[in-house]
Amino acid sequence: MISVADLLIDNRLPSNYFVSDVYVRGTLEFGLLENRRGDRLLALPDALMKSIVAGLNQETGQATKYVLRNCGLWWGKNFYARFCEELSEYYQQGVAELPMIEFVKALQECWRTHGWGVLTINTDYQTKGFLMIEIENSPFTQHVIQRGQPSGALESGILQAFFSQLTGRDLTCVQISCESLGADCNRFVLGLENRLQAAEALAEEGQPHTAIMQMLIQ
Amino acid sequence: MNPKLAALFEEPEKAYLKADELNTLSQFVSSLPERINFYQRLRNEEVTLMQTVANSLQQQFPQVPEEKLKRSLQSGILMVRYAAMAMLIDDANLVTNRLATWLPEIAEAYQTKSIDAALYQLIKTQFAGRFSPAQMALLSPGLNAAERLVASDQAPAEPEEEITSESLVGLF
Repeated sequence: MISVADLLIDNRLPSNYFVSDVYVRGTLEFGLLENRRGDRLLALPDALMKSIVAGLNQETGQATKYVLRNCGLWWGKNFYARFCEELSEYYQQGVAELPMIEFVKALQECWRTHGWGVLTINTDYQTKGFLMIEIENSPFTQHVIQRGQPSGALESGILQAFFSQLTGRDLTCVQISCESLGADCNRFVLGLENRLQAAEALAEEGQPHTAIMQMLIQ
Repeated sequence: MNPKLAALFEEPEKAYLKADELNTLSQFVSSLPERINFYQRLRNEEVTLMQTVANSLQQQFPQVPEEKLKRSLQSGILMVRYAAMAMLIDDANLVTNRLATWLPEIAEAYQTKSIDAALYQLIKTQFAGRFSPAQMALLSPGLNAAERLVASDQAPAEPEEEITSESLVGLF
């Protein structure tokens, strides 16, 4: 027989940790916006994002996307550590023991609550060794880095660092569709570097994401 | 709090509250002792009530693995807690606001939807036998909101169901 008392660990049941009305709070008398465990949050105005891209473009020219990608890689590394810390504290168990479904769902809710858009994991190419991350309403791809090119360098970096640490593999991430170029969402494909070599050039040529994936899985 | 009530407190600078607005507040306050009393009963009787539900669920689905039933039951216990809180503050939206983007996909991914549907019926029957119709009227909005979330087909057949730690690490 199932014992209900045994289902309640310390009389609690975890649910949606990142739900916005509980997650975002602050000590606003000190000018601090915080998350539910007291880490500082910042509201990032769109004008600042725009200025960062414009400033980098002016100072570094073509290097902008590499700088942003690098920032994303650093961010992703820290973000992964903090994300895991928060989850294991909330679930009162190590992230390794957490069902992957709950881990992924928490990542989606985290993304949503921070205002970074709606993140979906597309596993259509799983058997071919690629994972696709789709992000709708991203605030990071709004400002064009280079005309006609995908502008999600920062997100490519964060996703690459995050999933590399999650899987323990050295992954590469390439953006193959971009909202700033009229696509319905930003698509980032993750895989091993040697299998993704062609993807970046194809995306720069402006190939549609379906065609790029076809080429990759051949 | 009920959005109508919360709205009362939003703009003190605008004007003093009118008679009908204060009346809304009075109605809520006078219903509070009843709500608190019911909430306490739900809290104190949680394990007993849900154990009876668990036994019936297990009888109804003898062929389903225990792990799956446990998963559904955990979600059911969680929902009753949310419904109880929603009842306390008179705001069934609490359930939807907190869980609309989370619960449907979790239920979909664990493939417990049909068990969950039966579970909600069992909870309702069990609770209706134990509590008065007036109490059930207070609790039902929250319970129904949770039931709708689990039953909703809005959630796309999410790919997460295919993702496990092994599949993700073994992917590359």
